[in-house]
Amino acid sequence: MRAFITAVYLFLYAPIALVVLLSFNAGRNASDFTGFSTAWYGKALSNTFLMQALENSLMVAFISAGLAAIYGTMAAMGLERLGKRGRMLFDGLLAAAIVVPGVVIGIATLVALVQLFALLNPIVAALWPTDSPPQFGFGYGSIIAAHGLFSMALVTMIVRARIATLGRDIVEASADLYATPFNTFRLIVLPQIFPAILSGFLLAFTFSFDDFIIAFFVCGSKTTLPIYIFASVRRGVTPEINAIATLVLTASLLLILLSRFLMRDRPSPVPSE
Amino acid sequence: MAMTIATRKRLVTALLIGPSAAWLSLFLVLPFIAILVFSVGERAPEGGYQAAFTFAQFMNLPARATAFWNTMILAPVGAFFCLLVAYPTAYYLAIKAPARYRMLLVSLVVVPFWTSLLVRTYAWIFILGARGLPNLLALIGLPDVRLLNTPGAVLLGIVYGYLPLMIMPIYVSLEKLDCRLLEASADLGASPVRSFFNVTLPLSLPGVATGVALVTILLLGEYLIPQLLGGGKVFFIGNALVDLFLQSRNWPYGSAIAVTLVSVVVLIITLAMRLAWRFAGTRQVDLV
Amino acid sequence: MSKSYKDNLPITASALTDEFMRFKRGSVTRRHFLGVTGLGLAASVMSRGLPGAFNAEAFAGNLGTQMSLATWPNYHDPATFENFTKATGVAVEVNVFGSNEEMLAKLQAGGTGWDLFVPTNYTISTYAKLKLIDPLDMSKLSAFSAATESPRFTHEGTVDGVTYALPKNWGTTGMSINTAKVKTPISSWKQYFEVAMTEADGRAMVHDYQLTTIGSALVSLGYSFNSIKSDELAKAEELLIKLKPHLYGINSDYQPAMRSTDAWMTMCWTNDGAQLARDMPEIIYVLGKDGGEIWTDFYAIPKSAANKPAGYALLNYLMTPENAVKEHIANGAPTTDSRVLAMLPADVTSNKIVYPDEAALTPLEFGAAITLTDPNRAELMARFKAA
Repeated sequence: MRAFITAVYLFLYAPIALVVLLSFNAGRNASDFTGFSTAWYGKALSNTFLMQALENSLMVAFISAGLAAIYGTMAAMGLERLGKRGRMLFDGLLAAAIVVPGVVIGIATLVALVQLFALLNPIVAALWPTDSPPQFGFGYGSIIAAHGLFSMALVTMIVRARIATLGRDIVEASADLYATPFNTFRLIVLPQIFPAILSGFLLAFTFSFDDFIIAFFVCGSKTTLPIYIFASVRRGVTPEINAIATLVLTASLLLILLSRFLMRDRPSPVPSE
Repeated sequence: MAMTIATRKRLVTALLIGPSAAWLSLFLVLPFIAILVFSVGERAPEGGYQAAFTFAQFMNLPARATAFWNTMILAPVGAFFCLLVAYPTAYYLAIKAPARYRMLLVSLVVVPFWTSLLVRTYAWIFILGARGLPNLLALIGLPDVRLLNTPGAVLLGIVYGYLPLMIMPIYVSLEKLDCRLLEASADLGASPVRSFFNVTLPLSLPGVATGVALVTILLLGEYLIPQLLGGGKVFFIGNALVDLFLQSRNWPYGSAIAVTLVSVVVLIITLAMRLAWRFAGTRQVDLV
Repeated sequence: MSKSYKDNLPITASALTDEFMRFKRGSVTRRHFLGVTGLGLAASVMSRGLPGAFNAEAFAGNLGTQMSLATWPNYHDPATFENFTKATGVAVEVNVFGSNEEMLAKLQAGGTGWDLFVPTNYTISTYAKLKLIDPLDMSKLSAFSAATESPRFTHEGTVDGVTYALPKNWGTTGMSINTAKVKTPISSWKQYFEVAMTEADGRAMVHDYQLTTIGSALVSLGYSFNSIKSDELAKAEELLIKLKPHLYGINSDYQPAMRSTDAWMTMCWTNDGAQLARDMPEIIYVLGKDGGEIWTDFYAIPKSAANKPAGYALLNYLMTPENAVKEHIANGAPTTDSRVLAMLPADVTSNKIVYPDEAALTPLEFGAAITLTDPNRAELMARFKAA
């Protein structure tokens, strides 16, 4: 058993170890390991395109996950109040948003938006007072929209599962004590569902940050980190990519450690107000 | 303006649901309608789409039968191999692992998710390429072994990429397992093996079902792993789709395949749910 | 990195005000201002969101700070772009594609972000017809000299008297063979496909590109490289599908696999053939006696380009003989410009891979425009890949 588990962890970490190792390779190619060097980290950090791709990815992931967390939580709360038929329709759509393969989401969004832009742009141009009307096109907006779709469905599901475990009695008690619905939400419900929202947000962030196939279709001229990496696989990967992957891995490890540390120090999830 | 409580309640509900409903309509329903419309259209002379009403695209579906079957076979097979590795791992983590290290070990399963799948898969290209493992094999007298661009390489990539997704739900279901049940089973004279098959395994089935369903469904739309480790030779339906949009520019045919793929996914999920319900009686099996 | 650790410290309010006033007076550069105040990141996000928000400072003219080039694998000297960036302040992002169809698909779907790209001769008339590329403003391309170009290779850059594209280099599509692994001598596409299914089983590659893969299969069967006749295409498909299980891979970027010896032979373009033979003498480059492709790659500017001034600047830079010579030495493709030819060292011009004898070129054909848009060839290729 122990040998098997060791083998599984070796399997999981061998490629990662290789990536980290190669990021310190002085040579240009994976195949010639010529010595230890941190030069590729400097190169990666001063590569405008790589940094911009990283920045784009962080921004898209942050906004799409953030919007998903807000709208998804709102939807999870609103669904409680919806009629049976409405809820079934909504459930169906949420399930679809989760199970439809990413490649289909990418293609369908591309196809729909190409048509939509072709329809909207002339209208906007006709109505616009000046000669340079805004043009709708693919870019950050379309990536955020397509990523947010999956993320929002994910957050809604997670938060809803959490709401289902909440006792109605505490909410009713709060109402009996003349708390406004908003205060009840802020003081009673939110603290209890917050861990669910946070884990939904983190999952959504991770998903968006690592997604290649959806962005591949709807990114227009913008480059996210996975798209940059995919392009450089075709161009011949330099240790720059390994360096940036190592940095991202280190950052996420630090975040995990940090969250562990913060969780441990927090006395209890009940607010003191 | 006076507002009855009922109107107010409805307004709040609408405000809560509104943004997500708009999002779903604009970026899920509308795109799906678009590919439905496109799927009965024609390829424009230079590529792309032109309006028409024909089922020619759907009639042509058999031309992608191989890619379709590759996907339909390699997705469940990939999920099965994942399960073979994941179950013992999850079992160890939930039951055998020393409590002190348990959380650390569980975290270590998830950590690979934070390095780009692309980069990790690229590392496999290097490991499986002629200068990697085959080079070592040559040293022990097996020259010219080819590993890259084979179905085996794709399968390996699949197990590697999806292993954490399989381990987690199984781990969660095993972790919830009440140890007293196993003690009771032992007290009643069951051997450990018998206890495992009669108690542990059945109770972990929901986790197994979730993991297998999750991995299979994700694999049905897989593109990257066959692209990178299959060298254009091991083709999934996802690769065929990308090809139709980004090479041969046949949007209507691509749309027809996308519509078909979605239908198959929905069909499989419906069947799986039915099956799970029958198995579990009234117990809920959540897919996500 | 020349920045000191202080650059990363949070700036105080008074220091920010001071810096801002100095910036307004013009005594510090924008880059310095953004650097010390930590606004660089914010500005770089915002300036892309709001075009023109921070265009006050432009490097050399109005070229912006970056541009994007779509080209083919292993096709440039990386130093060229580094030098261009040094000269102009414009960083060049290089995107690599494996077929003209892929580039066309991207342009048709809209929003590529390319400011310059590298289409092959037979595609230019279609790009012009679809209005996907701009007619070139020759006044911005003073380094180009039409008089010294060889019209045999460059005439397709001009459509109905309008110049849409300038030549990068010409070349051939032949085969690269690792003679340490493959002993059978090969001199035709017919033999290539035979050996791919026998001695080099599991070790041969074809391009992920309909023109050359279908074209070479057609040639091996004795048909024209450009055929769109349905019966001939059907025969080619039969051959390709029979070949597929024996292939190592379908990929237009075959250099990594050839270098690692995962692949032993591949369909190959002149420049890759020259690069491979230069580094690994056992890899030879052969032209098909039964036919194949001769081509010219061009530079063109997409209509949708965001930074056309930079596109023109890079194009003019590449047309300058001093720069073109370095490119040609590095990538190993033959030039169309006699000014460049005269400057190339003798070991390049005498290299038979790069400048083959005229007799070897006779059986080769230029790609025909119709193959780019022919739906049957497109679908045949997609079917072959999905088979």
